[in-house]
Amino acid sequence: MDHRPQAWGRPRDDVYGAYDASYMQTNGPNQHTQSPVVTGTSVVAIKFKDGVVMAADNLASYGSLARFTDVKRIRTFADTSIVGFGGDVSDMQYLDRHLTELSIDEAYQQTAHTLNARSLHKYLSKLLYHRRSKFDPLWNHLLVAGLDEEGKPFLAAADLLGTTFSSPSLATGFGSMLAQPIMRRYVPDEESVANLTRDKAVEVVRECMKVLFYRDARSLDSYSLAVVTKDGIELSENEKLEKQSWAFADRIKGYGTQTV
Amino acid sequence: MTSIGTGYDLANSIFSPDGRNFQVEYAVKAVENGGTSVGIRCKDGVVLAVEKVITSKLLKPGANKRIATVDRHLGVVYSGMVPDGTHFVDRARDEARAWRETFKTPISTSDLASRMGGYLQAYTLYQSVRPFGITAIVGGFDSELEAPVDGEVGSGPSVGAGGKVEGKKHGGPGLYMIEPSGMYWGYYGAATGKGRQAAKAELEKLNLAEGTLDLKQAVKEAARIIYVAQQDNKDKEFELEMSWISGADGPTKGRHQEVPKDLLEEAERLAKKALSEDDDEEEEEKGDDKMEE
Amino acid sequence: MAMFSQNPVLNGPNYSFAEVPKDAVDGLREHRFNPYTDNGGSTLAIAGADFTIMAGDTRLTSGYSINTRYSPKVFKIGGSNSSQDDANILLSVVGFAADGEALKERLDAICKMYRYRHGKPMSVNACAKRLSTIMYQKRFFPYYVYAILGGIDEEGKGAVYSYDPVGSYEREQCRAGGAAGSLIMPFLDNQVNFKNQYVPGSGTGHDLQERERVPLPREEVEVLVKDAFDSAVERHIEVGDALQVVIITKDGIEEKVLPLKKD
Repeated sequence: MDHRPQAWGRPRDDVYGAYDASYMQTNGPNQHTQSPVVTGTSVVAIKFKDGVVMAADNLASYGSLARFTDVKRIRTFADTSIVGFGGDVSDMQYLDRHLTELSIDEAYQQTAHTLNARSLHKYLSKLLYHRRSKFDPLWNHLLVAGLDEEGKPFLAAADLLGTTFSSPSLATGFGSMLAQPIMRRYVPDEESVANLTRDKAVEVVRECMKVLFYRDARSLDSYSLAVVTKDGIELSENEKLEKQSWAFADRIKGYGTQTV
Repeated sequence: MTSIGTGYDLANSIFSPDGRNFQVEYAVKAVENGGTSVGIRCKDGVVLAVEKVITSKLLKPGANKRIATVDRHLGVVYSGMVPDGTHFVDRARDEARAWRETFKTPISTSDLASRMGGYLQAYTLYQSVRPFGITAIVGGFDSELEAPVDGEVGSGPSVGAGGKVEGKKHGGPGLYMIEPSGMYWGYYGAATGKGRQAAKAELEKLNLAEGTLDLKQAVKEAARIIYVAQQDNKDKEFELEMSWISGADGPTKGRHQEVPKDLLEEAERLAKKALSEDDDEEEEEKGDDKMEE
Repeated sequence: MAMFSQNPVLNGPNYSFAEVPKDAVDGLREHRFNPYTDNGGSTLAIAGADFTIMAGDTRLTSGYSINTRYSPKVFKIGGSNSSQDDANILLSVVGFAADGEALKERLDAICKMYRYRHGKPMSVNACAKRLSTIMYQKRFFPYYVYAILGGIDEEGKGAVYSYDPVGSYEREQCRAGGAAGSLIMPFLDNQVNFKNQYVPGSGTGHDLQERERVPLPREEVEVLVKDAFDSAVERHIEVGDALQVVIITKDGIEEKVLPLKKD
């Protein structure tokens, strides 16, 4: 028996050759996330007079591979707020578990009111900013929706750098270029939110999801749609795009391998 | 207690020659002085109730809750030394959190009872500590749905291997009582504290094992039992505190919550009425006796 | 070669104890994460005789995208509550919005602590020095913002302090910062500090007398600010949407939001 405990369980050099430790980086910086791995694409959301509508498709991509097609990217918090996640899916799951723990802790005091959408957004953006300042970012761009402390519709974004902003309509990723202009037609400013009905808001968001599916190669035709009002959250995670029309496609020329 | 004063009651970790740990037995005495706690497990949920003795008129009514939430689906109530109970709750919350961290899923009621039973038992082993001066009732509802993993993103395959098994039942209500010795059993109905004898007698009458009682009835019975158990020391003022847990399709949607104010008031009203009717009957009987004389 | 961290057994089998990489990667390793971004926008502050005016557009951008049309850059600092209605200091931040927000919250918390401890609000020049130290504390991982601090000094005069991202600062009559800072500043040099303005007929060459510098009245300054931003909007894509104008006097703080071109 070898009397050095350090040797127990180790392969012998005369049998296996010297252990090649070169892959282990003991010097250099700690390994933090340098880029996202499995990602979700756009999240879109729009305020209407009584609340907020949000949608995100159910796809998680691994680069250009459509890797997971049943990924629910809209998460609920304390039955009053929702968070839509774009970007890295594992970081989303980490945040989701973190929020679960937070909401359990909040429920310890049964009478105390819990975090509203505004305070939830503040919390998440501070967390994101803290992590970017540690050079260990959570690679997400998220939208937080719900009602604020006055019961008015609330919608705001936070990204992996901790940048925050709020607007009557918001979209992450490709959506900021493709969906945001569509939504701004209906709610150019805060005042116009009062004139938008729930049905119209849902219709606009569905239209945006369709446009995104037409043009975003990392998107999917099945998506989640959530509506938050003072009555709570209605979250449907198996929506399908309807009435697609690819008629525009044959008018596109000059891209790819097409020659005529 | 014949061996009292023989020195075997001075410390934990010392058995008396007849095989008893006196420190634990004294802890049980501490419990027997506390306000009555009751737990009822019925067919669609669990109800917890406690007689919160008002120790001072300067305390704000409704404040200083005695029933605690441990996880979304778990509640705890206890009789005995309140600070010990507070620590019990803190530890239970840590256990529930640690479970979620390692297994990414909520802790089951039985697992929490097991963890806490082990924790209390450890406090009967060492010179340096004393046992907990509480008996705790742990109530929970393990999700009947196929419980999602925390942070899970998909629903899994809808058919084939790994798919859902048709008609498979999971979870359900759970009720456990943990004593200072660390002993814990699962119960249909549990009672502890000063009025436990009366409460247990009432619980037995409910035939809980049959599974006929529903949650709303259980709330009313729990309120009545607390009032019945309180009969023997009427001089003490008390507040009735109650919580309940139903399945996902019930009134609390699988969460441990306070019983809503209107239902609590209704239950209290019925409890008082039931008591006064009992009193009337007794009075009548007494009256009859006198007549005969 | 196997290495030993313990005494080897003579002639016994060898084990690889050392876990140091044999081929250490030398040189710098690539970090792909960039903790900064530029969110565009412009700010401007002018000190008057008994007031300070501070303004900023409300557009927030990422690259060519407009994130929102209304994200204020001028903040009231050091009030006794969250409404900030009794604040006595203004701060504008432009550059990286997340750092700007963090810097604002830090300074506000510090000013509030000062108020609670001393029972009076912080003076503008004390706050100005404090802001400098806050920023310099992060000298090697700076707040990527151009900050301007404004208020009324202890003599009742308007005060403007401007900063670079690492906390170097000076008191000035006026300052424009951010994306269109270089467009607005020469205009301000001419219109506020009367640079290149001479007394007519006072001579030629070195004999020319500079126009005497006097603090401008409030009405004129307000027009100046609006004109400066209208011009900046024309020439800079990151500036526009709305103009937040905040004026601080001995009587308190007034705020208004004026429209700018949204294109």
